Amino acid sequence: MTLQLANVLFAATAAAYFAASVLFVAELAGHLLVAARWAPRLVALGVPLHAAQIVVWSLVLHVCPVEGIHFALSVASMFVCFAYAIARLRFRVDVVGAFVAPQALAFLLASRFVGPVDDEPRLRSAILPFHVVSSLLGIALFTLAFAAAVAYLLQEHRLKNKNLAIIERLPPIDALDRAEHRFLVAGFPLLTIGILTGTIWAREIEAGSLAGIARAVLSYASWALIGGVLLLRASAGWRGRRAAVGTILGFGLAVLVLAFYLVRSLMGGVRA
Amino acid sequence: MIVVVGLSHRTAPLEVRERLVAGADALPAVLARLAGREELREVMFLSTCNRVEVIALVNGEPSLEGGLAAIREELARQGGAANGDQLTPYLYEKRGDEAVRHVFRVAASLDSMVLGEPQILGQVKDAYDAAVAAGALRGTLMRCISRAFAVAKRVRTETAIGAGTVSISSVAVDLARRIFADLDERVVLLLGAGEMAEAAARSLGKGARALRICNRSFDRAASLARDMQAAAVPWEGLEAELAQADVVVTSTASAKPVVTRDMVKRAMKARKGRSLLFVDIAVPRNVEPEAHAIDNVYVFNIDDLEQEVARGMKARHAELDAAEAIVADDVAQFLVWTRGLEVQPTVVAMRAKARAVLVSELERSLSGRLRHLTEGDRAALTQMLESAVNKLLHGPTTRLKARAADRDDAGELAAAVRFLFDLEEAAAAQKAARADGAEGENGRDDDDRLPN
Repeated sequence: MTLQLANVLFAATAAAYFAASVLFVAELAGHLLVAARWAPRLVALGVPLHAAQIVVWSLVLHVCPVEGIHFALSVASMFVCFAYAIARLRFRVDVVGAFVAPQALAFLLASRFVGPVDDEPRLRSAILPFHVVSSLLGIALFTLAFAAAVAYLLQEHRLKNKNLAIIERLPPIDALDRAEHRFLVAGFPLLTIGILTGTIWAREIEAGSLAGIARAVLSYASWALIGGVLLLRASAGWRGRRAAVGTILGFGLAVLVLAFYLVRSLMGGVRA
Repeated sequence: MIVVVGLSHRTAPLEVRERLVAGADALPAVLARLAGREELREVMFLSTCNRVEVIALVNGEPSLEGGLAAIREELARQGGAANGDQLTPYLYEKRGDEAVRHVFRVAASLDSMVLGEPQILGQVKDAYDAAVAAGALRGTLMRCISRAFAVAKRVRTETAIGAGTVSISSVAVDLARRIFADLDERVVLLLGAGEMAEAAARSLGKGARALRICNRSFDRAASLARDMQAAAVPWEGLEAELAQADVVVTSTASAKPVVTRDMVKRAMKARKGRSLLFVDIAVPRNVEPEAHAIDNVYVFNIDDLEQEVARGMKARHAELDAAEAIVADDVAQFLVWTRGLEVQPTVVAMRAKARAVLVSELERSLSGRLRHLTEGDRAALTQMLESAVNKLLHGPTTRLKARAADRDDAGELAAAVRFLFDLEEAAAAQKAARADGAEGENGRDDDDRLPN
């Protein structure tokens, strides 16, 4: 019964994200005006379905949703969609959903079909859930900042080239810049907590492998880069293109850290 | 028959059009004069800066020419012309299907000077309200104009005829909205004074937090500022203003750029990188084009704006075929409805006569040979006869209506029915009642219930 419910929720969530992705593509291609209205709503509809799916599926598997990298990515993508659904009420950045919806769909599918859910008691720690949750929330907000930054660069490129055709379908450049900044401001403290708790956890389990050190270096670099972007914006007026490029690089480093976990998990099962 | 007589930007120059314009104050008197003409059954007077038209419902063929002449006379009187001949070269006349199509096209902004502009629909609605208030619209023409509103809405929602920007002012506003999400929190600076820049600044200033005007002549700036409810600033403070303003519209007569790249760089430093948009309408250009390369600075000159206008116009014209198809579809539907109206009096008269005969015969029998029937039997007999009449007349009624919907020769068939059933007087009475608006578009074709 629980398994059936999990399957239904999984299918409904995937359908919502898939429909939203298709509508976003249609909107950007300028073919479907109604898409602009329904695509973000479908992402918002996917959030409670996704959350319920995670809870029920974790009951089926008897694992905590924040353990196991694949499951955690699904949780992260749900956080991304949740943050998007809230943020779009405040900022005019619906187009960010064109990135959010497909990545949520991809991670949802990956959580079900890719890789094992492993278990290694050695790595269990009281601090681990804090590390995972804060890191995932931080990554979720950086994902939105990244999507806003990409849209910003696209919009800015068109404006600088005076090619205004596609601009009609994108939000105002100023709204994208502001949204990107707000997502970074909200995500940075979470990333900071994630890095601090990650450092403490690594000390607890006495992790010192080469990959672990590389992962830590990348995490600190990502933290420093995003912190630098925020600092320079406040002090030297680093807005717009420079901030967008910094955000994309910072997000790229954070994604590399996640990639480390994912690759190691696929290669034989080390938990997040 | 519906007719349109009028002139527009396509047929008459401004000096002719402006003589015929009737403002809101003069409109009731014009409508009263038109409605007082016995040749016109219903009438509406549409007066905009680009067109003056009388849309009317006149009686059929015999009085059609009289109706058209009456409209020409009233238009000549409105324009202060001694006779209609002076206006004749500028006037167009549309009749029947063509007139309906014209009304629909005008409301849908397919006949406007700027294709797809939205103001015309509001102007048609105002003319409609005035005509209804004057009691000059009540039946078929009222339905035609109402239908025109629906057509205009359909065209606007199903095509992109109203999309894009088609004037320098609207492009400037559109550009500002592409950069700033909250234009109402922004400051607009008008540099210099030119008609086009003034119009753009007015449009931008409407939604902005503040509008400032900077001119080499402070008196000129102050005078313009009073007129535009803006603040005048001295020319010497230009660089400081650049640090404050978010949108700068420039239109000075200077032969050299008045805003240099270095000035903009310094301003951007002072404004901590906040976006700055220049709408440079001046020729020669007022803003050094190199400023566009600075981060978060966007400089659009008159060529850029005109290209965008041309793109908007092209996009709208690309929608024209789809819009015309919608109009054609709705004209066809409306004509089906009006042809149905033509046979309606015959249908009503035919059914009324059939029932009258049966009522009379039934009453005679119920008070004579069948007086012994109980109430229940009487009710059953009445029900049976009513049903028989309905079934008998259902075929002719539906065939006549179907013929009217499909072809325009249903009048001949209706005439044959009237001849066969001797309905001329009754049908004429029905038609007169309909013309008076008593029955209007919802004319019933069933008569009183049969007695029990």
